[in-house]
Amino acid sequence: MHRRIPRFARTALTALAAFPLLLTTACTGDGSAAAGAAAGRPGKGPVHITFWSALRGSQEVVDAYNKSQSRVHVDFQQIPSGNQGGYAKLSNAARAGNAPDVATLEYPQVPGFAIDGVARDITPLVGERLRKKLLPQALALTTFEGRTFSVPLDVEPMVFLYRQDLFERYDIAVPRTWSQFERAARKIKRAAPGSRIATFPTDGGTQLAGWAWQAGARWFDTRGGTWTVSMTDKPTRKVAAYWQRLIDEKLVFVNSVDTQEGSAQVGRGAVFGKLAGAWDAGGTMSSQPGQRGKWRVAPMPRWDLARPRVGTHGGSTFAVTKDSQHPKEAMDFIEWQVSSPESLKARLSSGTSSAYPAATGLVPVARKAMDTSYFGGQDIYPLFRREAERISGQWKWGPRMTATLKTVQDRLARVGEGRGTVLDALRAGQRGTMPDLKSLGLNAREGSR
Amino acid sequence: MTTTTTTQTGAAGAPGRAGAGARPAAVPRSGAPDTARRRRLGACAALMTPFFVLLVVVFLVPVGGAVWLSFFSDDQPGLGFGPERTVFAGLRSYRAVLSDPTFLAGLGTTALYCLVYIPLMVLLALALALLLDSGAVRLRRTAQLGLFLPHAVPGLIAAVIWLYLYTPGLSPVVEALAEADITVDFLGVDTVLPSIVNVAMWSNLGYNVVIFYAALQAVPRELTEAALVDGAGPVRTALQIKVPLVRASGVMVAMFTLIWSLQLFTEPMLLSQATPIVGSRFTPNMYIYDAAFTRNNYGLAAAASVVLLAVTVALSYGLSRWSNRTGAAHAAQEGSR
Repeated sequence: MHRRIPRFARTALTALAAFPLLLTTACTGDGSAAAGAAAGRPGKGPVHITFWSALRGSQEVVDAYNKSQSRVHVDFQQIPSGNQGGYAKLSNAARAGNAPDVATLEYPQVPGFAIDGVARDITPLVGERLRKKLLPQALALTTFEGRTFSVPLDVEPMVFLYRQDLFERYDIAVPRTWSQFERAARKIKRAAPGSRIATFPTDGGTQLAGWAWQAGARWFDTRGGTWTVSMTDKPTRKVAAYWQRLIDEKLVFVNSVDTQEGSAQVGRGAVFGKLAGAWDAGGTMSSQPGQRGKWRVAPMPRWDLARPRVGTHGGSTFAVTKDSQHPKEAMDFIEWQVSSPESLKARLSSGTSSAYPAATGLVPVARKAMDTSYFGGQDIYPLFRREAERISGQWKWGPRMTATLKTVQDRLARVGEGRGTVLDALRAGQRGTMPDLKSLGLNAREGSR
Repeated sequence: MTTTTTTQTGAAGAPGRAGAGARPAAVPRSGAPDTARRRRLGACAALMTPFFVLLVVVFLVPVGGAVWLSFFSDDQPGLGFGPERTVFAGLRSYRAVLSDPTFLAGLGTTALYCLVYIPLMVLLALALALLLDSGAVRLRRTAQLGLFLPHAVPGLIAAVIWLYLYTPGLSPVVEALAEADITVDFLGVDTVLPSIVNVAMWSNLGYNVVIFYAALQAVPRELTEAALVDGAGPVRTALQIKVPLVRASGVMVAMFTLIWSLQLFTEPMLLSQATPIVGSRFTPNMYIYDAAFTRNNYGLAAAASVVLLAVTVALSYGLSRWSNRTGAAHAAQEGSR
């Protein structure tokens, strides 16, 4: 048979078969015309503002705020956490012109939402009184070119959470420096071959960033009005080489930590410690209730004991969006939320938290609520306070941090399978970020190669 | 518009139809043929209109939109914190896409996928169709149904089913293999691409078998009977008589499979939820999705879409040209024998 497909029909079929790929680009549109559905009415009754957050205890905080005054009423909506779709939801809402008045952003995402015009410049709304209450390093992370785009709720210096019972059983000293950490790692591997001192997190772009931060790296430098991207600068190379050695010599586990596998490792006592933000003390209390009394908290190991510095891991901020019809009221709510003891008490009523408040005046409240028996009576907040003061001030997050960190993690996952190195992953992160920044029209250049 | 339509349909229709209708339209002299011609044109227009409406609405307009979008950008000076204004960005987004190692890696992954998947698909589908056609298969209807059924399962559901079968700790397959002391990681660095090929194969094999089988049904029985009389066994009949005759279907299967493969999205997108080995920009389509919805960079997403469209069109065109040329050479060879 010679049943050939006519060329015309073939072209048409080709065209039809190819069109679904365009659907992704078709669903764009500028919805800035439709302003947010502002529920607030002038005159009688309270001003209504909307608030989106994935943070636990937000409902309790909102209830307490609504009860505390009658001028502003907050309508709260619990949304999925950022990487579970929360940020996409916020972007889409902003695109459609109906973003909430107040949104929750983690530090790495602040510059991105600020550049996209979702987070409003709130510099004139952040009063001197509030500024003075906040840890300067925290506020610096949400401030660019002298303009503030969000207000920090908590700031999380990285610490070393460790199993005091295991260190004691094997008679190993808790490391204070990174070289001691490496020596301890060797001893642990020898003494307890099924265990390791810690896990190198293949899903931990932010942890890796925190370690580079501690060493003095500047992945995104904004000086001179240009984004200078140097994810493989000298301090970062030092950090990458250090972890690569630990990985190559199998002194640490290499896998994802924010997964069942990761928490199972902690649960069966296979890891002697965790390197994470201060909040993870509370996280461990919730996820490993059976290990009560066995954990302690130490400062993150140092590169130089004479110059103690740390980076952060985690922490959230609140932004007022461009769509807000009541930015002043929104800002009042934010101020109350981050700086009033009632707010923190309401939040803590929903469950254990060891988050370190960016408004450091609240530390006594958090400290009082902490059940220290989980840490064998150790008073962890004074340690957090010392460490928070040592957060290194040179760091800035980049304009597309979610994507940048994901690109790094995509490669770190391969490092776990013995392909490539930590440095390769960072280099890939930088190279995968540059085209994005360039096509956004930002002033951007590569600092390190 | 009308003139192009008639010439196109005329050109396309001519080789297919051998009857009187294919005679080139004579120059109308009297009134009666003129009405006939007009009626034919009217029918033609009525039949073609839905196609052209759809073509414009769901293809040309979105393509135009994407192209337009790819040349513009909402720019802010300096670090980007200032007020934004829409500017003509020229080829900037295209330069960014083509210099993005993650996009190029995605293209590379897709190329590798095509190299494995397309030949495998064409050969397996053809082999199965030949088996069904040879009469060697019992319960042919059941076999056909069994082969085709997976195609009725939506791609997403297929991916979920296979994800379940691939995930260690969930999968009965992995568990059974483990009991036999075989450890397989279907989602490892080297195995994840074959795993995706497998899902696609499972979904689409039956469909392509049907295409080949239909073509084989049209092979004149005299030819196979003549081959039998000449002493050709079933294998030789299949390879030397039937296969050359269903060549055109092979090209069609290859082309559809190619176009489908270049748009690979659903399966890896779902697997990326289960294994970090499948990154967020694993294929070009995932790159586009990531650019639009994670990076909020619509210019970049549009440029990447246009690049992917160009690649798809170029490869499809290349494949059809190549098959036409080799087809003609083949026919000439046959004729000279």
